[in-house]
Amino acid sequence: MCTPAAGRGRVRLNVGGRVFETTTATLASAGRDTMLGAMLDASWNASHDDAACGGGGSAAAEYFIDRDPACFAVLLDLLRTGGLHVPRGVPEATLYREALYYGLLDRVRAARLGDFDGDRLRLAASVPGCAPGDGTAVRAAPDGGCCVAHGGAVRVYNWMLEERRPVYYPGHAPVNDAAYLDAATLLVAARERPGRLGDDGGVAAFSALTGGLRHRFRVAHDRQPRSFTAGALTFDDGGCSFFASCKGRFNEYGIGVWDANTGEQADFFYEPPGCALGDADRLQWLDGTGTLMVATMFPRTDSSFISLLDFRDKSVVWSWSDVGTPASLEDKHAVHAVVMEDGRSVCVINQYDDLGFLDLRSSAGGVRWRSRSKLATSGKTKALVSEEVCYPKLATYGGQLFASTGDTVSVFSGPDHVLTSTLRGGQGGAICDFSIGGDRLFALHSEENVFDVWETPPPAII
Amino acid sequence: MSGGGPPRKRNFKIEAFKNRVELDPKYAERTWKVLEHAIHEIYNHNASGLSFEELYRSAYNMVLHKYGEKLYDGLQSTMTWRLKEISKSIEAAQGGLFLEELNAKWMDHNKALQMIRDILMYMDRTYVPTSHRTPVHELGLNLWRDHIIRSPMIHSRLVNTLLDLIKGERMGEVINRGLMRSITKMLMDLGPAVYQDDFEKLFLDVSASFYSVESQEFIECCDCGNYLKKAERRLNEEMERVSHYLDAGSEAKITSVVEKEMIANHMHRLVHMENSGLVNMLVDDRYEDLGRMYSLFRRVPDGLSTIRDVMTSYLRETGKQLVMDPESLKDPVEFVQRLLNEKDKHDKIISVAFGNDKTFQNALNSSFEYFINLNNRSPEFISLYVDDKLRKGLKGATEEDVEVIMDKVMMLFRYLQEKDVFEKYYKQHLAKRLLSGKTVSDDAERSMIVKLKTECGYQFTSKLEGMFTDMKTSQDTMQDFYAKKSEELGDGPTLDVHILTTGSWPTQPSPPCNLPTEILTVCEKFRAYYLGTHNGRRLTWQTNMGTADIKATFGKGQKHELNVSTYQMCVLMLFNNADGLTYKDIERDTEIPASDLKRCLQSLACVKGKNVLRKEPMSKDISEDDTFYFNDKFTSKLVKVKIGTVVAQKESEPEKQETRQRVEEDRKPQIEAAIVRIMKSRRVLDHNSIVAEVTKQLQARFLPNPVVIKKRIESLIEREFLERDKVDRKLYRYLA
Repeated sequence: MCTPAAGRGRVRLNVGGRVFETTTATLASAGRDTMLGAMLDASWNASHDDAACGGGGSAAAEYFIDRDPACFAVLLDLLRTGGLHVPRGVPEATLYREALYYGLLDRVRAARLGDFDGDRLRLAASVPGCAPGDGTAVRAAPDGGCCVAHGGAVRVYNWMLEERRPVYYPGHAPVNDAAYLDAATLLVAARERPGRLGDDGGVAAFSALTGGLRHRFRVAHDRQPRSFTAGALTFDDGGCSFFASCKGRFNEYGIGVWDANTGEQADFFYEPPGCALGDADRLQWLDGTGTLMVATMFPRTDSSFISLLDFRDKSVVWSWSDVGTPASLEDKHAVHAVVMEDGRSVCVINQYDDLGFLDLRSSAGGVRWRSRSKLATSGKTKALVSEEVCYPKLATYGGQLFASTGDTVSVFSGPDHVLTSTLRGGQGGAICDFSIGGDRLFALHSEENVFDVWETPPPAII
Repeated sequence: MSGGGPPRKRNFKIEAFKNRVELDPKYAERTWKVLEHAIHEIYNHNASGLSFEELYRSAYNMVLHKYGEKLYDGLQSTMTWRLKEISKSIEAAQGGLFLEELNAKWMDHNKALQMIRDILMYMDRTYVPTSHRTPVHELGLNLWRDHIIRSPMIHSRLVNTLLDLIKGERMGEVINRGLMRSITKMLMDLGPAVYQDDFEKLFLDVSASFYSVESQEFIECCDCGNYLKKAERRLNEEMERVSHYLDAGSEAKITSVVEKEMIANHMHRLVHMENSGLVNMLVDDRYEDLGRMYSLFRRVPDGLSTIRDVMTSYLRETGKQLVMDPESLKDPVEFVQRLLNEKDKHDKIISVAFGNDKTFQNALNSSFEYFINLNNRSPEFISLYVDDKLRKGLKGATEEDVEVIMDKVMMLFRYLQEKDVFEKYYKQHLAKRLLSGKTVSDDAERSMIVKLKTECGYQFTSKLEGMFTDMKTSQDTMQDFYAKKSEELGDGPTLDVHILTTGSWPTQPSPPCNLPTEILTVCEKFRAYYLGTHNGRRLTWQTNMGTADIKATFGKGQKHELNVSTYQMCVLMLFNNADGLTYKDIERDTEIPASDLKRCLQSLACVKGKNVLRKEPMSKDISEDDTFYFNDKFTSKLVKVKIGTVVAQKESEPEKQETRQRVEEDRKPQIEAAIVRIMKSRRVLDHNSIVAEVTKQLQARFLPNPVVIKKRIESLIEREFLERDKVDRKLYRYLA
């Protein structure tokens, strides 16, 4: 078949007056699903074939595109080399807009964000918030965007860090937690307020793109729908169902399970005596064993309680609590917990930034505190405690352990969890929450509502 | 921000917008017209005049300026209008051209859809996800489904055409498979639900009724083998059809329809079909038909179990006839050989036709176990078969052949419930073989013992092995005896003593007879020698089991070597000093037990060709008044004459009873030991559990009778090993 500039495969493009010459192969590498790919497709070039072939065939056809040439140069360079280099004078926002026009935004994103590596993070942006109060949670979206929950609203940012329409829980109920079901769907858990009738609090799904309400998840006890307060949220490994800690008004405490596809309640794990489930701060699904970790931590309750639930036979397969510990231990309390990625232990951290480990394979272990974890900010903590209380938090990602302490995120690597990096951002004071996802780390500061965005730059060429 | 700055600075005045900037209100309408025109042109195959870049930019602008909804709705209504036009032209197509037209239009629509989606790509990326609309490509497919496939004028015609074509192909017509493939692929492209609901379901229903009718026809006119052939061919055809022009997901469904209609519904009739059913196939070894039946029946639920049940009942019936047939009981070797042949035949059927199916092997085994144990002489016969093979049957056979035969016998042995009875007989037969030196191959004997040992454990064969050890030590002892005492013995008769350990051998205590003095002296010397070397032992002569070679000179001076039993020797030696002796004389002089003596005299006097004695009066039987004379006129062509004792190879009725009784006697301590073992660990147990446990423990050797177990328990209670519970009489308690 005779395509424009067949034989040599050359194409001449006139973009906003500037002429570019490239090959069909370069443009086709964008994919049939993009504007450039479609433009060169045979179905749109039947006439050119005739003209070109009839007219001698040697003259390369010229396509005119009525767009900005500077941005096109960057995008053409991206198609040629796979790398993104934005010269001065080309604003990022403009570039993203042009990339969207050509259907190349995904390519730009992929080139922009390297694979996440905790030891090579670089502060990419500090985004000032405009929330009136303190943020309660920041959550990373799978595509690199994020959301910040505070009070009655969740502010949503796309991966270009442009703010979208915020999500309001119906009745502006206070938000406890948020989680991305996928890049376009956000789950929000909200608190039920006393004095309100029936329809308040609970869990609902929103469009992350438009902020519109998609679905409200219900809980029924004895087939009676009941209102409830939802605390923490998490998904199982396939993302087919999700869990939320629930507190009903009539002491219906426990963990609710919903099918993420149908939106129906799938199960409910009622709180057995001696277990704290309904108030839990943190839930985490363990892929390997098919169990759910539920952690209810100080200072929400007087003592911390962590358990593993097996929903198949409704049993608590493992649990730990610091209720009985003597008070002489300087009143140390585990304030956050995360299951390590090997599924064998739980890492906890106390308010003095000490890391400790619990063995999941035996029930009788107790916490092995690391002897004085030399965190970078250990000197500062005393001062911070008096100013504003921001308890440390933990996360794991890609074999590394992350802990936020004060205004710093510490990165621990290797089987012995050696401190390998510390991330200290701009202004904003202590970090009250952080989240990793979509190849980015987001850290939310307690003052000013600023959040920092950390990215891994693409690896050096040589 | 006005005025008043330092004088060097220029002042700007920025005014607020007075009017909102508004786009030309007709802009959206105009742009849409351009795009609508383009969509029509694309459907008209007239796209060459269109500029992609311009159209793309127009659609982009519409979305950018918030006319996305207008654009989307416009697309939907334009496409709907076009599809209605298309449906008219498809409806107008006549007969065979209908499918062709449908397919051609589908291709057109696909291509147009691709181009439309190219133009509207920006809308697809931005407007569609935020407003939760269906993406363009999917929208095009949904509209095609609703306006073409499910339009009342086309839907039934399409399905009927497809089904007619398939029916035609089943009847042997050639159809355009490529076209069929395109159409079914279109249905799949519209979504698996469309393919399944609008086509597959009806296809399966029609197929079911087709095969229901056809199978009825076949079964009326075909025999079982032919029917199965036809069913197999139909099944393969359907699988081929799926691979050629249906979705792969249909294969399991259509094959299950064929399986149900052609096999499952007629299963019993096929298996029991007269003159050609399963039993006939088994009898005639029709491997191919059996294999086909197996592979077809395994596809349907309960198929294999039907075959298995019929096979099992056939096997049990024929096996029962075999083991109960009085004819076959006459020759034990033939009896076992027939069992083995039967086993071989069915083993081959299972391995060739039934793919070595474990469940069939189990069925075969259980059938054999069932009927072999119907005849309580089976253990004896199997032992006799081995005896026969080891005596003579193995001459010329290679070691491998021997192994094969032994393995087969072991297979039968495994079916036996009364393994201890077999042991009894085997011991007797082995003893005879060893003592008479009839055993052909020591290796074969030993390999048989090893097999029994692996099957039943050390305990089972320890006595048998003891017999071999005795044979060996006897040889050594005799050599030693002659080496040390040869001068002392001088020219006397040669003695060969087998020293048998008590308990290892099936000996019956028999009173020793009076040996001739020549022999007696040698015996006494041996006794002195043996007791001198082995302290604290006792020797008892088992004269009833020995043999002797004697030289005899007859009337005309011819010499013969006679091979006789010890008893016979004793009798013959008497005639060195007398020509005629009465029965009474002989009995008095030899002290041989009456029954043995009679048999021994019978074989010496009454067997033709071997009558070294003469009896008066002449008759077949020995009576106490008979007189015997040395037969001067004895002649024989052979120098060596073997004079056997008249014994039935098979056991006679009283002997059988005796063996039986001994077996029962031997079982008693075993049952008691098992009871004590169980009670020792359990302490308290009820009657039924004990019986069950004992049966389980002993079933490797025999199947104990519950009545016998009860008797043993009572005996143990008497001897105060157990006691009955004082409250619950059904419970037994172990007394330490």
